[in-house]
Amino acid sequence: MNTKISSVLKSVEKPGRYCGGEYGAIIKNKDEVKARFAFAFPDTYEIGMSNLGMRILCGALNEQPDIWCERVFCPWVDMQQKMRELDIPLWAHESGDPVSEFDILGFTLGYEMCYTTVLAMLKMAKLPLRADERAEDDPIVIGGGACAYNPEPMADFFDCFSIGEGEDNLVEFTKLYIRMKEEGRYTRQGFLHEAAATIRGIYVPSLYDVSYNEDGTISAIARRFEDIPERVEKCIIADMDKAYYPDKLVMPYIEAVHDRIMLEVYRGCIRGCRFCQAGMIYRPVREKTPDLLNKQARCLYDNSGYEEISLMSLSISDYTELEPLTRSLLEWTDRNMVSLSLPSLRVDSFNKELMERIASVRTSSLTFAPEAGTQRLRDVINKNVCEEDLMHAARVAFEGGKTNVKLYFMNGLPTETSEDIEGIATLASRVVHEYYQTPNRPKGRSPQVTVSVSCFIPKPFTPFQWEAQDTMEMLAEKQEFLREKITDRKVRYQHHNAKVSRVEAVLARGNRKLCKALEIAANEGFCFDAWDEFFDYDKWLSVFARADVDPAFFANRQFGLDEILPWDIIDCGVTKEFFKREREKAYAAATTPNCREQCSGCGANRLGGERTPCPKACRGQHEG
Amino acid sequence: MKDNEKRFTLPMLEAPRTMRIRFQKTGNLQYISHLDLQRTFSRILVRAGLPLWYTKGFNPHIKMVFGMPLPVGSESECEMLDVRIEREMSAEEMMERLNAEVTDELRVLAVYPAERKFAEVAFAEYDYTIRTERADEALAEKISDTLQAPLTVLRRTKSGEKETDIQPMIRSAAVTLDGDAIRIHAVLSAGEGNYLNPELLITALRAKTGILSSDLTKESYRILRRRVLLADGVTEFH
Ligand code: SF4
Repeated sequence: MNTKISSVLKSVEKPGRYCGGEYGAIIKNKDEVKARFAFAFPDTYEIGMSNLGMRILCGALNEQPDIWCERVFCPWVDMQQKMRELDIPLWAHESGDPVSEFDILGFTLGYEMCYTTVLAMLKMAKLPLRADERAEDDPIVIGGGACAYNPEPMADFFDCFSIGEGEDNLVEFTKLYIRMKEEGRYTRQGFLHEAAATIRGIYVPSLYDVSYNEDGTISAIARRFEDIPERVEKCIIADMDKAYYPDKLVMPYIEAVHDRIMLEVYRGCIRGCRFCQAGMIYRPVREKTPDLLNKQARCLYDNSGYEEISLMSLSISDYTELEPLTRSLLEWTDRNMVSLSLPSLRVDSFNKELMERIASVRTSSLTFAPEAGTQRLRDVINKNVCEEDLMHAARVAFEGGKTNVKLYFMNGLPTETSEDIEGIATLASRVVHEYYQTPNRPKGRSPQVTVSVSCFIPKPFTPFQWEAQDTMEMLAEKQEFLREKITDRKVRYQHHNAKVSRVEAVLARGNRKLCKALEIAANEGFCFDAWDEFFDYDKWLSVFARADVDPAFFANRQFGLDEILPWDIIDCGVTKEFFKREREKAYAAATTPNCREQCSGCGANRLGGERTPCPKACRGQHEG
Repeated sequence: MKDNEKRFTLPMLEAPRTMRIRFQKTGNLQYISHLDLQRTFSRILVRAGLPLWYTKGFNPHIKMVFGMPLPVGSESECEMLDVRIEREMSAEEMMERLNAEVTDELRVLAVYPAERKFAEVAFAEYDYTIRTERADEALAEKISDTLQAPLTVLRRTKSGEKETDIQPMIRSAAVTLDGDAIRIHAVLSAGEGNYLNPELLITALRAKTGILSSDLTKESYRILRRRVLLADGVTEFH
């Protein structure tokens, strides 16, 4: 490690964040590899090490003998201070080498509020913020992750984006880089152009021109070359059984937020909640087979020693082979004192005997996300749970000795009325009531129901992508109204900061005009906006004003159905027609069956996929 | 493929046996706190496939007992951890299996049945290396004199901060000059209830002599715990 870095470790908080040397960390000889990839997570070490995507992608890249992929995290503010004092540039975790020396610098963009941290990291790396100011031998800066589905607010800062699932795509991208270097025909622009033209899912913003109408909406998005796609289609791993999955883990010494084996069971979601971006952009559903999962879990356990395995997916109960998988896991996990946890398990859907053997069921609280307070509004958002489901889950939990219930809701959903908000209070009280109606409830204890309410954020690639977010005043009023309606002393009420949600909405639905605002923010030292203690709404308003950005235009405006949306440049597989249909059904409070009950023709099946509920479709010209 | 399941085939012991693992904690690992080390070791023990004994009851867990604490920022060649096994496995095999699961900075140096109690530890031997541009004979002498005289420092105790004279807890301290470094070979109290945090010596020297208070890229120090000793101050504790 760089001696300057080690010299300050004794004087920073949690030096374990920076010291590296973890068991399982991949060290290669930098002179023997052909490309060095710096994979950056724009948050602290503890959070980054909990990210499954980062683990998978670093592993996939490091499988290649020619490529050395290292991790990069954002140093905490005390370390940033030391870096300024001693002129230490941002470094890669394994080698300690400056990030600016790498060939490719990748950022995972998991949430909008990380954007300022990304830019702060570019500054710490002493790289130009803007892609068009980077020199020929600066690293290629690429972004990916959920937020890359609307990359436009960050378009000026990234050389390119990888849209969709990166396991194969990033390797292909890096191999093209190596090939062009070896053949002596590498130029920055030449490489980006060729990548855009030949690799599915690669979006190079500088190769597309965006023009605007007088009212600020987009008039056209035009590609600059005929050989690059008009719309960039996301890439997926068709057969999840063949997807790269790490069999060894880097073991953090300091505790990561999720410090356990994360076993990804399937991708996508059959449900189709209308506010949920993840449920749309990860379509189609593709399952892994239980045999393979069991083998992977065993291998990960042997190589990590973790005492907990968590089955990961958007809605675990929807996995068709959940019972065989759980059974085969329990065969060895019990004996080895490993606990199994199944987050988001729907209690009504699972065999009682297996359930009792699963750790998450033994914890002291039940979490449930009705999202809306009335059946009408739940139908609007296509959240397929009814009050009876909740009461049933609560009863089972109380009988099992639990007393705490946490309920998640959203304020500001389209068509919401005061009745819907009052419904949240009523529903919470009913859960309390249910407790006292349960004959074999825990003796001598009282229930605690926590109502946690977030603010609706219209997200790209959802049926609600056109909707206006409630203004801050409306949200504040609704939050106050609900506070008054919650009179039950057994019910605790928490709500999210509406200011954060508003900035998030602006960034989520922003276009390239936002780049200017983000650049000003970066130059003023914004960082860690995902952390409450650093988020400053007034500063954001000031930044927007100076960049000539009206936050209401992006957050609180109803977008036109015929308007060209900033993210129209991306094709996530699901068609706009489907989103429009779903939107209409929402306003009619009509539900849509889940993908397993009946296909609703969202279009994602044309991407292909194995072990999927989707009807077969021909893949068209991209096939092969 | 690992043979982590092999342990289930080994012969049962009549009673759980306590095995002592002596390991080093050097380099990057000096920055890992005690709590993090505990978690790290519980996973190493599992990966190594040792026939560990688990507590009975609602929440079965393994028993780990560490020797004396080591402050974050100090290195050591003599850390100790006691674990209990319930089936027969040789100490050599245990050591081999453990060393396959650690990085060199946490290398296991010995494994053997625990005999002495940790309570018998009375002293620990440390090597301090202080690198500073100001290193010369005069500074070495000044440090040496400082360590002989009463040496009050602010110590954090359960009942708040307290001024204590740590000099009586320094059994011996030999100061030498070695190029641009000052070396201190010190034997400090380390018994239960009478444990001197080796970092406090640096704190005291910083206050009394002004070393290590400027630019940390120009001045640095390293603390290495070498051995732990019994009450006679000579015999090594195993
Ligand atoms: S194509 Fe049909 S089954 Fe497949 S994801 Fe879309 S709606 Fe669901």
